[in-house]
Amino acid sequence: MLSGWFLHFRTLLSCPVSIFDSYIAKITEYVNKMKADGQLVREYRCKPEIRELLEGVPVRTGPAANQGIILRGDTFMELGNPEAGACAFLVWTDNPSLVSDGRITLIGPDIPESPGASLPFGQVLIVAGPSLTSQDHRSLENAQYIGGHIEGYMIRSVPQQMWSRVSKEAAAKGFRFESLGRALMSIYKTQIPSVSTMETLFITSSKGHLEPLEDMAIQVRQVFMKTLTEEWKAKGFDVYECSLGWDCQSCPDQVVCDDIKEIIDIKKVAFQENRDENEISHKDS
Amino acid sequence: MAIDKATRQQMMVKGLERYKQEREYFNFITNLLAADPNEEIQLSKEVTEITVARYDEIIRCAEEDKPFIGGYFCAAPEVYAAMDLPWYLIMQTPFLAASAPYLLEDVDAAEAMGLGTDWCTACRLSLYYIEAGLSPPPTCMIGLLHPCDAATMLHQAVVRNDKWRDIPMFCTDPPYLEDQRGIDYFAGELRRMVTFLEEHTDRKLDIDRLREIIIESNKQYELWLEYAQLRRAKPCPQGWGMGGGQCFAVSQIFQVGQPRGTEWFRKLVDITERKVKAKQGIIANERIRYFWFDLLPFGWVFEFMPWLEEEWGAVLVMDMFGYTPYEPVDTRNEDTMFKGLAKRNLYQSPMVRQARGIADYFASDIARVVKDYDIDCVIWPGHMGHKDGSASVGIMREICQQLKVPYIHIGLDLFDRRYTSPEECKDKIGKFFSAMGLG
Repeated sequence: MLSGWFLHFRTLLSCPVSIFDSYIAKITEYVNKMKADGQLVREYRCKPEIRELLEGVPVRTGPAANQGIILRGDTFMELGNPEAGACAFLVWTDNPSLVSDGRITLIGPDIPESPGASLPFGQVLIVAGPSLTSQDHRSLENAQYIGGHIEGYMIRSVPQQMWSRVSKEAAAKGFRFESLGRALMSIYKTQIPSVSTMETLFITSSKGHLEPLEDMAIQVRQVFMKTLTEEWKAKGFDVYECSLGWDCQSCPDQVVCDDIKEIIDIKKVAFQENRDENEISHKDS
Repeated sequence: MAIDKATRQQMMVKGLERYKQEREYFNFITNLLAADPNEEIQLSKEVTEITVARYDEIIRCAEEDKPFIGGYFCAAPEVYAAMDLPWYLIMQTPFLAASAPYLLEDVDAAEAMGLGTDWCTACRLSLYYIEAGLSPPPTCMIGLLHPCDAATMLHQAVVRNDKWRDIPMFCTDPPYLEDQRGIDYFAGELRRMVTFLEEHTDRKLDIDRLREIIIESNKQYELWLEYAQLRRAKPCPQGWGMGGGQCFAVSQIFQVGQPRGTEWFRKLVDITERKVKAKQGIIANERIRYFWFDLLPFGWVFEFMPWLEEEWGAVLVMDMFGYTPYEPVDTRNEDTMFKGLAKRNLYQSPMVRQARGIADYFASDIARVVKDYDIDCVIWPGHMGHKDGSASVGIMREICQQLKVPYIHIGLDLFDRRYTSPEECKDKIGKFFSAMGLG
């Protein structure tokens, strides 16, 4: 409600509104609705400074923290198998006041409560920084795929899917969603200094609870792809279309194609001569 | 004028000559591999064995006048399997028999026929085999209007070939954009393909059978995905000799939705998992982990890929065909199955995914693979036929610069060693490794 009013106010004052601000409001509405529906919603508040974020996290975080991969037999539980349901996306804003820095929200069961489970998984990251622009979106997006940066936690290498495993060892050390949220916030704030505030939302309750988020994820991706297209165009990458009706004779670049064909011919002749010479010397010897 | 039965019979006899030679070639390789007890070699042997089985099946259909299809990849082969329709890849000779002694002669013969040297050698060869009567004429053909200019030209030429023009052909129309509208549209195209196949063969699609095939095929993709994660291990358990190519051949060509294929994947995962646990790499001293972002250089693979391992300690950790963007097809009902197949064949199958587009897949796939597989350098071979990818070289280079990972574009012909010789490629790669401080 408050954020809706704020957006309206910003628009009235002609302040530039970040493209995802309205989604941040929708995410808040989503969480509120889940609370109103009586779902188990847990909130954790962390001290948001980088050095404090990792306090109490029972696993290593940072480059090469996860040595190797998590094998099937070493898996404590799985998150986001496509059959169980998965949805992950990220929104950003240049207005840090829209984000509750250091907040981790979990809807549904936590990791220690789910040994051997394959749970649906929703992950929404909300990041902010006064200097963030649409040009940062790709690096923000890429950063959520953490590679080997969290010990005992592995995201499978499948594009556009957040499908992950928690190892038995990490679970035994007490790894939980609070740890994951803290680790993610630490990674973002360390890797992308323009991120000043951040909060995370995890959903493991049911596949059905992911549906409203899936709609948002599709829209966010569409916005991202649109800005990405503009970005590539601005850098000079665009579709090179033949406007000559495929008439190579009138194409100004025909000379390039002809040159290439000529070079191929020369190379083939040289190859044949070389082969003939080799055969002769082979016979002689 | 329609081809009469006698002429078709003659075409079939001639078309099967080369086809039978190739079967013998693979039989020979199978027997050779069978003598080696190494379990990874046995996995390769199984792939050549199922290849031979497909050759046998097509030959049997051709000789007994039973329906079979000429096809391309990425056109929902789960449908063919569910309809019990054997099919062969009209492009298979360049891919499967690329090390066969006649390949270069065939390339020259294609050129002598007037086929331009500026379109993909694999497509050029495929057209040559049809023009020269070296491919068995199928009952009907499923073509593909993507991902590249040459694939489209190939089908345009085939449909006008005086011997093949009576063979009914259907091509699915691929949308460019990646969205729900595109998925819905392509699902409709696949349904039209089914109608076409039912019209031109005596087979009907049973939806329950399609579901069975897809469920089995989902298992294969799940195991493939498991296997692909294992390649993230350091050292990488396998190199260029086992991986994407075989997984693709099993799941998308020779054992689509078949339990034997699933079993093959199971063995692959078990063997590789044991190697990962034992920290056993494909080579003793892995120094460079590279991402080969294309097909392997089939025409001269044995002269180049082993050299990278032996000379540089460079291991192919991931390649375009080994990357697994697949997700299971939802088998709840007919609609979800066709939409799932549309997605798999439009956005997830290799080469079609990147080359048809969206172009950003070139960038996003590199970004993901480099991070997840801890890649030291990206090699874009720059096959002369992959003009679609060449148009995206700037995008690839830029993303690699952002990721701070060295990138090289070679410029070669994956099938014709004379375009850029293996020696020239070695020279270029060697200088690149040295200059980037990788060697």
